[in-house]
Amino acid sequence: MKLLALSAPLLVLFALAAHAEDALFADMGGQAGIDRIVDASVDNYLADDRIKTIFDESNIDRLRAEFKVQFCQIAGGPCQYKGHDMTMAHKGLHLTNADFNAVVEDLQDAMDKAGLPFATQNRFLARLAPMQHQVVSR
Amino acid sequence: MKKLIPFLLLLVPVAAIAQDARTIIQKGRRFSVPEIAIRRGESLTFTNNDEFIHQIYVQDLFDTEERMPGQNITEAFPRAGTFDVRCHIHPKMKLVVRVN
Amino acid sequence: MRLPIPALAMAAALICLPAHAQTSWDMFDGGKLLATGGVSQVEGAGGGGLANWALITGYGTRDGIGGNVHYTAVPLPDYSLQSAGVAVGLLDRLELSYAWQEFDTKDVGTALGLGRGFTFHQNIFGAKLKLIGDAVYDQDSWLPQISVGLQHKENDRAAVIAAVGGKNSVGTDYYIAASKLFLAQSLLVNLTLRETKANQFGILGFGGDKHNDYSTQFEGSAAYLVSRRFAVGAELRTKPSNLGVAHEGAAWDLFAAYFFNKNLSLTAAYADMGNLVIKNDQQGAYLSLQAGL
Repeated sequence: MKLLALSAPLLVLFALAAHAEDALFADMGGQAGIDRIVDASVDNYLADDRIKTIFDESNIDRLRAEFKVQFCQIAGGPCQYKGHDMTMAHKGLHLTNADFNAVVEDLQDAMDKAGLPFATQNRFLARLAPMQHQVVSR
Repeated sequence: MKKLIPFLLLLVPVAAIAQDARTIIQKGRRFSVPEIAIRRGESLTFTNNDEFIHQIYVQDLFDTEERMPGQNITEAFPRAGTFDVRCHIHPKMKLVVRVN
Repeated sequence: MRLPIPALAMAAALICLPAHAQTSWDMFDGGKLLATGGVSQVEGAGGGGLANWALITGYGTRDGIGGNVHYTAVPLPDYSLQSAGVAVGLLDRLELSYAWQEFDTKDVGTALGLGRGFTFHQNIFGAKLKLIGDAVYDQDSWLPQISVGLQHKENDRAAVIAAVGGKNSVGTDYYIAASKLFLAQSLLVNLTLRETKANQFGILGFGGDKHNDYSTQFEGSAAYLVSRRFAVGAELRTKPSNLGVAHEGAAWDLFAAYFFNKNLSLTAAYADMGNLVIKNDQQGAYLSLQAGL
């Protein structure tokens, strides 16, 4: 009986989640919202002592533009990311899980600043999380 | 014919040096040399020996596709002058090419 | 004197570790995301309050180490339970823990003829090994993070345990835990199977006059992430009923955990520990503080 009480709210949550997935791009504020989040998060990376040196050799403007297209696509928006393979793009940086997580935290701060509800942030992060397999090489 | 052979042998090291001068290695997100002098019409071959994807461009001359590690690309310099070869992905990379 | 094998293993691991990691304090890389080490469960392992989870304690990533100390108080209608301990997570792969538990029988002690405020103590040595999966990163897979572990418990009241029908004052629980973060739903779920002979977590020893074999028990937790710092959830933990003198049922709790930062967390719960040492309806508050890196 107690097991049933525990599982019922879980089932309700899963049902709600299935509907929510199509609406993520809109819930993030469309392209304008994503642009704001990307700009704020890149500003955070460059100010974050843990990871800022990773970007020393990077073309920051190009990165911002690439993130905006890529995040749009990941959120289910009408964009086609034609950039490099994620593994190849990050291999030479020898990134660790700590580096990856620092980026996640800076991105969370940017999404907080944009006023995204935590639940919406997590829907987006859930789509980014598997990139750890390609982005982290050390 | 016998007088020609020593002269032909002289050409071999010259040709070898000329061959090296025409290849630029990309490694450590840098070009293997900071500058190079070539003759008008000559080409440079850029070989990506790096762990990173690169491309190269010269303003108003060429702007290449991306090249994966292990790939290379050859570009010609038809006009005289001084040209900066750069990479859109890595703005700190610069090769100065002096074409006479 | 019994050799504290788990404690020796802990020391050996800590000595060998610098060979792998860089300088000493860099090892505490604090790189895991907030709350992804769980909190300290009542026997000292990383997990929820009652349940052991597959997560490795501490904020060390797979390239470093993390550790923490905890203090837990469970004031119940007729008893009080306290626990304090230390745990380390090594390379996000191995977790070693030690917890000290004190169970004060208060007035029930008098009723049992033991004297008012008679206390039982347990030393609990734990080890947990992550086998496969990553609860946080594997969002594109159904695979949970799976860990196996043991908790070796030594109770100091062998005579009293024997008097109530308990067969041993020392026992070891073995468990396998599966944890998964359904990030798109902001939901962390854990299921654990535990092989145990413990009577009331070991407070009344191990094995009994009614039943003296290992039995498979179940622990489940579900936590909803309200914000980066705040999670609420529920847990259920079944227990065997080995003793004729004390019928045992499942324990459950509803909890709220607040993570101030990667150094401090506070968990408050309403816990129903079921029957404890001849008294039913032991429901009360559960408060736990964890500090670490």
